[in-house]
Amino acid sequence: MLTSLIKAFTNLFKKPQTIDYPVTPIIKDREYRGLIEYGEESCIYCLKCEKACPPGAILFVKTETPSENEKNKKGLQYHYNPYLCIYCSECVRACPKPDEALWQSNKKPLPATKEGKVNESWFELEKLKKTE
Amino acid sequence: MKKTINIPLGSQHISLLEPVRFKFECENEKIISVDSDVGFVHRGIERACTTKFKFDAIGYVVARVCGLCAITHSLSYTAAVEKLLGGEITKKAKYLRILLLELDRIHSHMLCLSHTCENAGFEAMFMRIMGDRELVMEIQELLTGNRVQFDYINIGGVNRDINSEVAKKIIENLYEVKQRVLGYMDEFTNNWSLSLKFKGIGALSLDDAYSFNAIGPLARASGLNIDVRNEIDYLPFNEIGFKMQTQFEGDINARNIVRLNEIFNSILMCENIVNGLPEGEIFTKLKGKPNGEAIVRFEAPRGELMYYVKGNGSAMLERVRIKTPTFACIPAFTHIFVGENYADAPAILASFDPCLSCTAK
Ligand code: SF4
Ligand code: SF4
Repeated sequence: MLTSLIKAFTNLFKKPQTIDYPVTPIIKDREYRGLIEYGEESCIYCLKCEKACPPGAILFVKTETPSENEKNKKGLQYHYNPYLCIYCSECVRACPKPDEALWQSNKKPLPATKEGKVNESWFELEKLKKTE
Repeated sequence: MKKTINIPLGSQHISLLEPVRFKFECENEKIISVDSDVGFVHRGIERACTTKFKFDAIGYVVARVCGLCAITHSLSYTAAVEKLLGGEITKKAKYLRILLLELDRIHSHMLCLSHTCENAGFEAMFMRIMGDRELVMEIQELLTGNRVQFDYINIGGVNRDINSEVAKKIIENLYEVKQRVLGYMDEFTNNWSLSLKFKGIGALSLDDAYSFNAIGPLARASGLNIDVRNEIDYLPFNEIGFKMQTQFEGDINARNIVRLNEIFNSILMCENIVNGLPEGEIFTKLKGKPNGEAIVRFEAPRGELMYYVKGNGSAMLERVRIKTPTFACIPAFTHIFVGENYADAPAILASFDPCLSCTAK
C-alpha cells in the first residue's frame, strides 16, 4: 500500500512516455528503410529494378524528351510511386549499380493529397506501359 | 415462453479489436451455447498470390496478412519455396531468422497480456506493458529498418546483416525487458484483478484441448505438449535453448503465465543468438522455379501456422494455402465459452489472443 502510494506520487513528476510530436521531432534511425532515390546519370537502363519490384512502384515509360544518357536507347523515363512502394529494397538489390543509380534513403514520403492526383497520374502511366 | 436470450458479441464491440462475431445464447448470466462467425474482412490474399504476383514477390505479400506475426508468414512461405527450389541457406541466416521470429513472439505476447489487463479493467497495467513493448519494437526497427513491416526475409536468406552496435542495443534492451517482465510476473500472480479473478475462469481441460485440436499457448496452458518449434528441424531451435512452457490449469491465468514464461524463454534464445552468431554470408542465391508441392509449419506467437505451396515450374504458383492458428482454435474457443458467465466473455476472448486479420485473409 505504502509503496504504491509512493509510486503514485513520484509518477506525478515523471516525464511522459510519449513525445511531443511535432514540436519534438521523431528520431529516425540512420538505417530506416525509406524512399528510393534514383541517379539518372549512372543508370544503365537494364530495367532490373522494374522487374524486381513486388508492387510495381517503378515504371520506365517512353517519353518524348528522353535524357541525354547514351544507355537510354529506347527513350525511357524513370517513374517512382512512393505511395505504392513498400520500401522492401528489392530494387536496390537487383540493381547492378546500387548506391549510384538506385539507393534507399531514410526519408519518409509526404502525405498524399487530393490535389497531387497521385492515383490518377499513376494509373495513366500504368496504362501507357501496358499499351507499349 | 422462451427462457434464453441471444446476445451478440461483435462483429464490432468495445472489447474486441478485430471483427469476429460470437452469438451467445444465455440463460440468465450463463452462456449455454455459442455460434461464431469469422470472415468479415476477407481480402483474397490467397487468390492474389496465384494470379497477381510472381513467386519471388509473394514473401512480401503474405507478410501483409498480419501485422503482428508478419515475420512468421513470410518465413513460412519462404521456407516452403526453399524446399521446392532445393537449396540450403547459411547457418547465420537461419540464426537471424530465429532472432526476429522470437523478438516478434515477445512483442506479440506483450500485446496480448496488455489486452488481457485492459479487459480486466486494469488500464494502468495496459499502458505499462504497451510502453515497455516499445523496447522490443525499437530493436526490431534497428534490425530491419521498419517497425511493423519487417520485409526481412527473402528467398535464400535475410536482407540485412547485424552490426555490433545493433547487437549491443539488442542485449541492452532485452535485459531491460527481462526486468520489466519479472515485474509483470509478480503482478500476474499476486494482483487480485489479474490473477485471483482469472483463476478457474475460461478453463480448457487437457482432454478437450486434445479433442478440439487446440494449439499454441491455449493448448500449452492446458498441459498439452505441443509446440512446432520442438518438432521441426528446419531451424535449429533446440540448439539455442528452446524449452517447452506448459501449465496445467488451462484457465486464463495459466495462459498468461505460459505467455510470460515464453517471453523469458524467447529472451534467452535471442541473447544466445546474438552472443553466439556464426560467421558467414546472410544470403545464398537460389536458382530455378518452384515445381511440386511443399508443406511447411511454424510456430507463430498464437500457435501453428501452416503453408501449403504448389508450383508448376513457372513463375506463377498454382496454389498457396494458409492455415492460421486462430482459425484452428475456433472450435476450442466456442467450447470454452459454454458454461461461463457472459460478463467474463471479453476477458476470456482477450486471453485467446485471437488474430482475425490472419484468420480472414
Ligand atoms: S523498395 Fe520495394 S516496393 Fe519500393 S520501389 Fe523498390 S522494390 Fe519496389
Ligand atoms: S536496376 Fe539500376 S541500372 Fe538498372 S534500370 Fe534500374 S536503376 Fe537503372
